[in-house]
Amino acid sequence: MNGDKKRTGARALVESLEKADVDMLFGYPGGQALDIFNCLTDAKFPFVLGRHEQGCVHMADGYARSTGKPGVCLVTSGPGATNTITGLATANIDGIPLVVITGQVPLALIGTDAFQEADTTGIARGVSKHCFLVQSADEIPETVAEAFYIATHGKPGPVVIDIPKNCQQGLTDAQYPERVSLRAYHPESAATTAQLHRMAKMVNEAKRPVIYAGGGVIASGAAKDVAALARRAGIPVATTLMGLGSFDERDPLSLRMAGMHGTPAANWAMNEADLIVALGVRFSDRVTGKISKYAPKAKIIHVDCDPAAIGKNVSAALGIVADVKDVLTTVLSRVKQAAHPEWIAKIDGWKSSHPVSWTQMHENVIMPQAVMESIDRATKGRAVVVTDVGQHQMWAAQHFRYSLPRHFLTSGGMGTMGFGIPAAIGAAFARPDHKTVAVCGDGGAQMTFEEVVVAVEHKLPVTFVIINNGCLGMVRQWQELFYGKNYSGSILTVKGRCGNERLEQDLDYDYLPDFVKLAQAHGAEAYRVIDPAKLDATIARAVKSKRTTLVEVIVEPRANVYPMIPAGRPVSEMVFK
Amino acid sequence: MDEQIHRLSCYVENKPGVLARIVGLITGRGYNIQTLNVGPTEDGTVSRMRIDVLGTDRVVEQIILQLRNQVNVIEVTSRRM
Ligand SMILES: Cc1ncc(C[n+]2csc(CCOP(=O)(O)OP(=O)(O)O)c2C)c(N)n1
Ligand SMILES: [Mg+2]
Repeated sequence: MNGDKKRTGARALVESLEKADVDMLFGYPGGQALDIFNCLTDAKFPFVLGRHEQGCVHMADGYARSTGKPGVCLVTSGPGATNTITGLATANIDGIPLVVITGQVPLALIGTDAFQEADTTGIARGVSKHCFLVQSADEIPETVAEAFYIATHGKPGPVVIDIPKNCQQGLTDAQYPERVSLRAYHPESAATTAQLHRMAKMVNEAKRPVIYAGGGVIASGAAKDVAALARRAGIPVATTLMGLGSFDERDPLSLRMAGMHGTPAANWAMNEADLIVALGVRFSDRVTGKISKYAPKAKIIHVDCDPAAIGKNVSAALGIVADVKDVLTTVLSRVKQAAHPEWIAKIDGWKSSHPVSWTQMHENVIMPQAVMESIDRATKGRAVVVTDVGQHQMWAAQHFRYSLPRHFLTSGGMGTMGFGIPAAIGAAFARPDHKTVAVCGDGGAQMTFEEVVVAVEHKLPVTFVIINNGCLGMVRQWQELFYGKNYSGSILTVKGRCGNERLEQDLDYDYLPDFVKLAQAHGAEAYRVIDPAKLDATIARAVKSKRTTLVEVIVEPRANVYPMIPAGRPVSEMVFK
Repeated sequence: MDEQIHRLSCYVENKPGVLARIVGLITGRGYNIQTLNVGPTEDGTVSRMRIDVLGTDRVVEQIILQLRNQVNVIEVTSRRM
């Protein structure tokens, strides 16, 4: 053993993160992480101090979604670690690579109910791809290398490394390994020649094919290959929510988004198709609706890197466990040039009879959909759009025209309110070459608003747009449609509240908080807009600013998201208003 | 579809947390484990788990795929009892 190479586990951790090419660390300190924090001041990568550990994880997540590189986060034990759980679950279900490092009480104290002790790996297990509980300083470099490998290979996901304080302090000369080889985890898998042959044959024989592209296309960097296949074989393309940007929505072959709030053209095309080429999707219930009625006429080719995704929700005539990009690049030459004029004409008919549209409910009120179009215009369709969760998320999915991958970042599988603000900050750090716009609801914005200071103190020119409808709109919509308009717990303005909340109804200002003052208190430049005539100018001014800006848009509170296929219902039950 | 007892044989790396992850994956879906046996193999770094679980073929197949996705799981086989 070479005595000179010994350094603390904490120092070895920071060195290992440098070796793993980490270029930004998000986090929040505390007692059991202090040895690591002590080494950060001379790390090669910058540290970003969030204001809540959930925010830190979402920032790392936004960083990862916008770059494809793993996001990295460091927090303390106990409450620091438990605050990461929502962020982990959000990344886990959407397959986002993260490495989250948590401090832990010294090994000798584990199990004693020590101060700020929590069974982090036990709690995180169900919401992460993998967890490590480090047992000695010597394990740290190898564990870091393995964590990055696991986070980024196979279906990506979040990995937790829990490091007891004594391991941070212990001395080690262990080195970062040159390469990682895991005994039991070998996720790489490729299509067989027979599978590729069969796939090409099915595509060549199809009369009414549809490509159905999901987040896996973006994760594998296969957007160009999807376009190549679509153009060559004349196949229209629908995407999932997570797949928005995997195919240019301005392309005549685009059907835009499918599913509960997808376009009629996308849903009807899947319903009528004789072949669905499903790429990097998991057939979520938000897309299939009533599963027994889903795509009744179609054979399904399902390509995904996750063997557990294939056959999980729908059965595929041909399932291929492989990287989407690899499959598409090799299958392309076997696919014949085709056009399907009748099929395309039918689809074009649906597109023109049922275009993506919305109606102005009253004069003098801003419709939320108009805000999306206004932002899209002001940013020339090139913004990185990050959303929170609710109605505004669906309007953002519907009323921007996405043309590039990694330009629409949203919590798809978990639907985590509070994701938007911190994820937008992470994306703005990662992609300074692009304008980042967060579209948030008045409900979700209040869940992680504290992170706005992070954007301000780092002078990030991100724009937060708060779609203020005075309510938890998506909940209010379901109550209107399915619960007899009993708006229990879903109204944020005082005047509209249910009697059971027993509020005095005599406030001067009905809409609380005042988001403009709140943003100003956080150091941001802020605007409020109520008048439809001023919408475009205000949005344009905010997105052009070099500072962190917030625009509170007071919108029509009763607007609903349409079209809608009610949960668990077939496409035939789509409602339009 | 009929529920049946399936016996899963899993070879896993003998590391802390592996048992909890595997059991959690099954019980977290509301399925009850009927019998669970864990023991060493001749290779001390590998353990063998035998798990009897009641479920439909479809669900058990899904569980097996998810088990195989786990970082420390080497091999999973199953048979109906
Ligand atoms: C953390 C969390 N809690 C609860 C929900 C359930 N939920 C889904 S949408 C929604 C309303 C969101 O309201 P708001 O942020 O104002 O957005 P809007 O729907 O009005 O656009 C709620 C409560 C959730 N998705 N996430
Ligand atoms: Mg709202």
